[in-house]
Amino acid sequence: MAILLVSALTLYLGGVLYSFYVFATKARRPDKELPMIVLLGFVVHTAAILVNWYQVGHFPIVNPREVSAFIGWAIVAYFLLISRRYQARALPVFLLPLVYLLLLASMVLPETSRELPLLLQGEITTNPLTKIIFPVHVTLVIFSYAAFVVTFVSGVMYLIQEHELKAKHFGAAFQRLPALNTCDEIGYRSLTIGFVLLTLGVVTGIFWNNQRDGRYWHNDPKEVMALVTWLVYLFIMHYRLTAGWRGRRVAWLSIAGFVIVILTWLGARALGGYHVFG
Amino acid sequence: MSIVVVGISHKTAPVEIRERLAFAESRLPEALQALADKQTASEAVIVSTCNRVEIIAAMPNSQNSENPASRLHEFLCGFHNCEATVLEKHSYNLTDAAAIHHIFRVTSSLDSMVVGEPQITGQVKEAFQLAQQTGSVGHTLTRLMNRAFAVAKRVRNETGIGSSAVSISYVAVELARKVFEDLNGTTVMLVGAGEMAELAAKHLLNCGANNILIANRTYENAVKLAEELNGEAVRFEDFERRLADVEIVICSTGSPNYLILPAQIKRALASRHNRPMMLVDISVPRNIDPAINDLDNVFLFDVDDLESIAAANLAERQREAVRAEAIIAEETERFAAVLAEGDVNAVIGAFRQQAESVAFAELERSRKRLGDLTEDQEAALRVMLNAIVNKFTQPVIKQLRESDDGHSSYLAAWRGFYHRHEDKE
Repeated sequence: MAILLVSALTLYLGGVLYSFYVFATKARRPDKELPMIVLLGFVVHTAAILVNWYQVGHFPIVNPREVSAFIGWAIVAYFLLISRRYQARALPVFLLPLVYLLLLASMVLPETSRELPLLLQGEITTNPLTKIIFPVHVTLVIFSYAAFVVTFVSGVMYLIQEHELKAKHFGAAFQRLPALNTCDEIGYRSLTIGFVLLTLGVVTGIFWNNQRDGRYWHNDPKEVMALVTWLVYLFIMHYRLTAGWRGRRVAWLSIAGFVIVILTWLGARALGGYHVFG
Repeated sequence: MSIVVVGISHKTAPVEIRERLAFAESRLPEALQALADKQTASEAVIVSTCNRVEIIAAMPNSQNSENPASRLHEFLCGFHNCEATVLEKHSYNLTDAAAIHHIFRVTSSLDSMVVGEPQITGQVKEAFQLAQQTGSVGHTLTRLMNRAFAVAKRVRNETGIGSSAVSISYVAVELARKVFEDLNGTTVMLVGAGEMAELAAKHLLNCGANNILIANRTYENAVKLAEELNGEAVRFEDFERRLADVEIVICSTGSPNYLILPAQIKRALASRHNRPMMLVDISVPRNIDPAINDLDNVFLFDVDDLESIAAANLAERQREAVRAEAIIAEETERFAAVLAEGDVNAVIGAFRQQAESVAFAELERSRKRLGDLTEDQEAALRVMLNAIVNKFTQPVIKQLRESDDGHSSYLAAWRGFYHRHEDKE
C-alpha cells in the first residue's frame, strides 16, 4: 500500500513538472504525454485505495489521511474526464500541484485510527442500509468538492486573464492562459456538476439522518456549512440564468464559494459535531 | 548539376531597381522558356514579388572557368533592358550550398521584410507551379523546391515563428481568440468601412466569424462592402440598435468625437445577457469612449494596444528565427549532400547504360552472321557481354565514387561528357 502511494506520488510529481514544462515552452506541441502520465498515476492511486479498502475492510474514508487521498483521487478523475474536452494547458498547472499536495498530506498527516468510529460500527449492525449509504453519501460530496476545485481554478484563471486584457498586459500569462470564454465555460459547467453532486450528497445525508433517528436535520456544524455552500452555488446559478451574471462576478463568487467549501471540510471538524471524520 | 541563384531583394536593392527587374505575370512563361533553353540553364524557376526578384536555376557544371551566374545576369539584363553595372551593384549570386541555404531561408520566410509572414511561402509555391506548367523545371529543381516547402513547414511547426500576429489586423484576431476562444458563432460589426477595418474583418471571417454587419455614414459604401464580404449593410442611425447582436465591433471612422458611449454598451450588454463583447477602435482620434473598458464583460482595444502587441510579437519572432536558422542550416547540409550523391549516381548510371547499349547493339548487329542460336547459347552470350561491360566499367565507377567530394575535376569531366551527350540528343 505504501509503495503504491509512493509510486502514485512520483507519477503525479512527474505530471506536475511536465505540465510546468509544457506551460513554459510556447511552441505548440501535441500534448498527449501529460494525460498519459496522469492516467498512469491515477491507476496506481486507485490501486492504493482499493488495497487499503481491502485491508481495513470498510470504505476507507475515515481518517484525514484517507480523506485527503480520496479528494486527490476525485480531482484527478474529474480532470481526466474534462481534459478530453478542453485542451487547456493551464488547468493541470494549477490542479496537479494540488493533487500532489493532497496525496503527500495523506502520507505525512499523523496516523489516527483506521477503524470505523464506534457510532458507525454500531449503526451498521442495526441498520444494514448504512453500509451502502455511507460510501454513496461521502463519494457524492467529495466528487462535488473536486468539481468545485475546478470551478475555483477556472475562476482564478479567468480573473488573471481578464486583468491582463483590461490592463493591456500582453505578457506571459496572457499568452498561456485559456480564453475568457473557455475559463467561464469550464468554471460554470463544473459548478453545475458540483451543484448536482452536492445536492445528491445532501439529500442522501438527510435520508440517512431520517433512517437513523427519524430526524432530518441536526444543526450539526457540517450540515449547516454544507447548506451554506449549497445556497451560495444556488445563488450563482440562479443569477446566471436569470440576470446573465457571468465573467468576473461569477469568478469572484466561485472563489468565495470555494472558501466556504474549505471551511465546510476543515472548519466544521474544528467545531465538533457528529461528522467527526473527514 | 549545380544550383545557382541570382536575385535582388528588399535588402539589396531599392524599390526603383526592384520595379525595373520585376517580371510581369503575363511575361513569366516566356521568360521561363527562354531561361530553360539548355543554353542558359537546364532548369529554372522565377520568383518575382514586390520584395524580391530571383532566378533559381539548375545548370550543368561548367568545364571552363565561366561563372554560371554570369549567364543569368546576361539574361536578366537582356530581358529587362538594364545595364549590367546596375544589376551587378544590387544583386547577389549564390551557388550550390549557399544557394540552397538561401532558397530554404526565403521559402521559410526568414529573409522577409516581416520575418515569419506566411505569404512568401505561397508565392514561391506559385512560382514553382508556374515553372512546372511551363515545363522549365526537371528533376533537380523539383526535388529542391519540394524540399524547400517541407523545410518551411518544419520551421513553422517546430518554432513559434508564425504563431503570433504582427500586423494590426491579425492582432485583432488574436485578441478575439483570447476572449472568445473560437470565433465560430460570432458576429462582427464594422462601424465605418476603412481599409484597415475591412482587412481585420476579412481575417475574422477567415478565422471562423459567421456574420458581418457594416454600418457606414455613406450607406452605398456599406452596401458595396457588404456585397463583397457577403455581409449585411446597416444604416448608420441603426448601428446602436444592432450592438446587442454582435460580439466584435471594429470602429474606424473619421469622426472627431466619440461615437460609442458607455451607456449604449450597457444597454447592449443588458439585452444580450452580458455575453462578452470586444470593441476595437482603430480610428484616430478615437471613436469609442475609453471608459467602456471599465465595464465588465467588455474589452476595448485601441490602435496603441494593437501596435504594442504587434511589436512584442515581432520581437518574439526574431527570437524564434534563431531556432529556425539552426533547422535551415541542418537541412541545407543534408540536401547538399543528397544532391551531390544523386549527381555521381547519375553519371555512373549514364556511363553503365552507354557501355551496355554499345555491347548489346553489337550483338544485334552480328546476329545474321551468328545464325540461329539456341536458348542456352543466347543466355551464355548475354552473360558474357554483361561480364565484359562490368569488368570494363568497374575501375571507372570505383574512381568516380572515390572522387565524389563535390569538387572533383574527374567527376566534373565525366559529367561534362554526359551533358554534352544529352544535349546532342
